Amino acid sequence: MALQGADWLASSELPVSLYASSRPRLRGRGGTVASSISTVLIIVLAVAVIASPSAAAFRDGFLNLHQMWIAFKGDPTKGVLSVAKGFMLNLWLSLVCEAIVLVLALAVATLRMTSGPVLKPLRGLSIAYSDFARGVPVILVMLWLGFGVPSLNIKGISSQSPVVYAGFVLVFSYTAYVSEVYRAGILSVPRHQVQAARSLGLSNFATLRYVVLPQAIRNVLPALLNDFTSLQKDTAIVSTLGVLEAVHAAQIAGGVEFNYSGFTIASLLFLAVTVPLTRWTDRLMAKDRSLRLAGNP
Amino acid sequence: MSPVTKREHPTAELVLDVRAAQKRFGDLAVLKGVDLKVYSHEVVCLIGASGSGKSTLLRCCNLLEQLDAGSIQLFGHDLADDRIDENLVRRYTGMVFQSFNLFPHLNVLDNITLAPRRVLGLGRKDAELRAHELLERIGLAAKAKDFPDRLSGGQQQRLAIVRSLAMDPKLLLFDEITSALDPELVGEVLALVGELAQQGMTMVLATHEMSFARDVADSIYFLEGGRMVEHGPPSSIFSSPKEIATQRFLQRIIDAGRL
Repeated sequence: MALQGADWLASSELPVSLYASSRPRLRGRGGTVASSISTVLIIVLAVAVIASPSAAAFRDGFLNLHQMWIAFKGDPTKGVLSVAKGFMLNLWLSLVCEAIVLVLALAVATLRMTSGPVLKPLRGLSIAYSDFARGVPVILVMLWLGFGVPSLNIKGISSQSPVVYAGFVLVFSYTAYVSEVYRAGILSVPRHQVQAARSLGLSNFATLRYVVLPQAIRNVLPALLNDFTSLQKDTAIVSTLGVLEAVHAAQIAGGVEFNYSGFTIASLLFLAVTVPLTRWTDRLMAKDRSLRLAGNP
Repeated sequence: MSPVTKREHPTAELVLDVRAAQKRFGDLAVLKGVDLKVYSHEVVCLIGASGSGKSTLLRCCNLLEQLDAGSIQLFGHDLADDRIDENLVRRYTGMVFQSFNLFPHLNVLDNITLAPRRVLGLGRKDAELRAHELLERIGLAAKAKDFPDRLSGGQQQRLAIVRSLAMDPKLLLFDEITSALDPELVGEVLALVGELAQQGMTMVLATHEMSFARDVADSIYFLEGGRMVEHGPPSSIFSSPKEIATQRFLQRIIDAGRL
């Protein structure tokens, strides 16, 4: 048998078929299939919005352009506050928090990566922190701190604006996530890189600073920006503390006008920031890749 | 490879003195009491099968690993001494790895200048001037702004060598630097090492390149199973090995057509 098996090598006909026998392959037709699926989906959605029994009420309640405009610019005479103005607070808060988070999280991640007995208590603390902050929903921490701390009546701390508590909670939660991202990045740098750097005489710190972190951050840049997008969205939770931002303004508009189009405009405002941010992340990655392959500075 | 004329250095000093070095990783004893002496301007080749402890020995010499027992004296200083600054040890002993380990996020020039700038405190200009000289020497000056992954394996390894040279080391450790290379690229790397030998660089190489070892080395150490079995000048090791283990090892090399 074993020898017979080799016979086909000598014969001119190959007993091997590489053609799929049953199911036709999608290759080459993938584009057609994808676009037809999309078309069907869009038709189904459009029918649901336009032709369903409650479609008119839905369009009037959520997609009313006039109401969107009122909510967008606000109407002081009716007590409707501007969603756009509120959104500025979301933007501002997310930028400030992100800046603080990026720095703090790097410190936490670095701390967790250290070895040696001196920093062991701090390492344990940072692990406990990261488990806690990632394990509890942001909204709970927000309520807990936002209503708890003022009731404690600690001088100088309890009298802060809700925006400060909100910012603190966002930083608290996101630092834990982002430090894990950094940590994954640091772990993704091969051990050999560290050895090469150390064997050139670079200190532990210099190795981290010039060899490990640049590669680590490059590796996790998409994840970092992903978390930033997420943080940007989570600024909406601040509304639970009564801070006047986009969602809270939309709630007020909805209450005054009995119309939810303000939520739609708030969503669109968030999308207007997050979508370009995501696209930009993708482009940044593509550019970085092609740059390194093209070998230009 | 053409035989290289041996260098004459009347004022040879003891650069590296390893005594009864022992190292274990968990249950695995990798070094079971190895001795090694390297004098200045000398080229020492460590030969032996994979797993014989060559790499570990080299890694202990620049403190990437710590010995469990025995001692290593580098430039007359005991490496086990608490006052030893490991960064200084490594600043004076260059190490080149099997897998090049260039920094992928830095271009060719920055790969060379990083350590001189951050460790020696050289200014960018001075560091780059020196880097350009080194690149000129290995014919890669035109690639200064390229990233390492654009280079061939041989070019990458030669870059890794001059990256070490930029620190002006007094001792170079080579850990099987040609083992990851395509056969046709081995020559250019060994040629550079041969040049360095000619110029009097003190080097220890863990290598499987027997003809290179025979032509360039001043002394050969044969390791097996974590023990130093035999050492001596290449003429005696390769022509008339005394130990049976050495004979068997060399016979296998010859049978494989590699000597």
